[in-house]
Amino acid sequence: MRFIPCLLISALLSPLALGAESQNWLLRLQEAEQRQEFQGVFVYERNGSFSTHEIHRQVREGQVREHIRQLDGAFQESLRNNGSLECITGPRQERLTSGRADGLRRLEPRSLAQWYDIRMVGLSRVAGRETVMLSLRPRDQHRYGFELHLDRETALPLKSLLLNENGQPLERFQYVVFDPAAQPRLEPRPSCTPPTSLSARPLEENTWRSEWLPDGFTLTRIVEQRTTAGDSPVAWLVYGDGLARFSVFLEPWHEGLGIDQRSQLGPTAAVSRKLATDQGDLLVTVIGEIPLGTAERVALSIRSGSGVVLQ
Amino acid sequence: MNRESLRESLSAVMDNEADELELRRVLAASGEPELQATWSRYQIARAAMRGEYFAPGLNIAAGVSAALADEPAPSRSRAGAPVWRGVGRVAIAASVTLAVLAGVRFYNQDALDGAQMAQQSATPVAPSIAPQVQGPAVLAGYNPGADATLAIPADREASLSVGDQRLLDYVRQHARQAGSGPESILPHARAASLENR
Repeated sequence: MRFIPCLLISALLSPLALGAESQNWLLRLQEAEQRQEFQGVFVYERNGSFSTHEIHRQVREGQVREHIRQLDGAFQESLRNNGSLECITGPRQERLTSGRADGLRRLEPRSLAQWYDIRMVGLSRVAGRETVMLSLRPRDQHRYGFELHLDRETALPLKSLLLNENGQPLERFQYVVFDPAAQPRLEPRPSCTPPTSLSARPLEENTWRSEWLPDGFTLTRIVEQRTTAGDSPVAWLVYGDGLARFSVFLEPWHEGLGIDQRSQLGPTAAVSRKLATDQGDLLVTVIGEIPLGTAERVALSIRSGSGVVLQ
Repeated sequence: MNRESLRESLSAVMDNEADELELRRVLAASGEPELQATWSRYQIARAAMRGEYFAPGLNIAAGVSAALADEPAPSRSRAGAPVWRGVGRVAIAASVTLAVLAGVRFYNQDALDGAQMAQQSATPVAPSIAPQVQGPAVLAGYNPGADATLAIPADREASLSVGDQRLLDYVRQHARQAGSGPESILPHARAASLENR
């Protein structure tokens, strides 16, 4: 009977070894996001939209600055510094919530592996460069899968697909030109202006909670801000599983706001519904790159902590 | 019965995640017109998400109730056999789905031809990527046909832009600010694509 454990061990070891390799690639990717300079041109496609963009990324003394401008259609550009928006040229005056953006999130392959089956599935070629294909298959129906094509030389993602439960792509991000050797140039137009900031105050973590969350999603941000119209307070909660993320917006309900609305913009689900609470009616809006059914269920599960009032 | 928790249970049934208690709760209330209306709405939302089409105002609740009625009643003695618990749940969900699909076929015969239906049912549930890729990578379930690139019909989005600017503002805020995954550029491209409409 001794051969059975042996069989078991060898059966277990090979996928483990493969898993370790794919996790190494994710670690390299994370490292590269913070160190590697490059310039390139990429396409982004989702339903109803296809656009082309030029990007320059510069790294100086730990500061990662990134300039992206759209090459087709109306001119748009943005300049980011460690993930937060420095300036923007676009069709509207951007209003952003003040306070530090989450920036470049730390990726933890080990905890990710709890929610995704991460594997190296082959080699491919993107933008004329050799790439390795990583598949991240969700372990439940509450998140989407990813297919990443990482540059063999730099480990940066040259192509990324978000896949629905049938394996069909919901969005495509792909470089057509990628040059890590070229000198990046950050040259925003003079019209590039900093976004207006909306005032916000931090909230206690237990002010709002969801009675149900998909496994692995944790609260990464909770603030209270004013609506873009400026009249009523809005609580904003962000949840993430390390890869996918969704936002929950809560505001007092009043006549004229919808009571039950749902929509899907490419990879992004949006669900808005009226919720009766002890403190009066609320409008709960859940937005994120998660399946619509999951967003719906989160929206139904939001509860206020004791004695909480939006003010 | 708390309305919100009932809706939550209904949602759980749809996600194949309901436990026995939730299922019983929904079954007990399945005669209520409000619950039936909610169920129809969820199904329509789900169908839209999958690119299936429903006739507006279609009442599927009757078909679903029939499917649920034919299910064997959940028995209490299952605690000893956890494996069967799961099987029962899947079976219930499957027959409910069937009822919904049958409803679509019946009401939408002109809009939905049999071939499309067959294709939908043949699609594997779990995404699988071929382990050995030769040449350009091809996704399983990816149909290189003309309009198969993206899974959701574009008209869903058109309805949003007319519908509610506020929702769009939140989508924008989420895209621009909610932080980023391994590809910091992605949320960014998403935000930009919102302006290209």
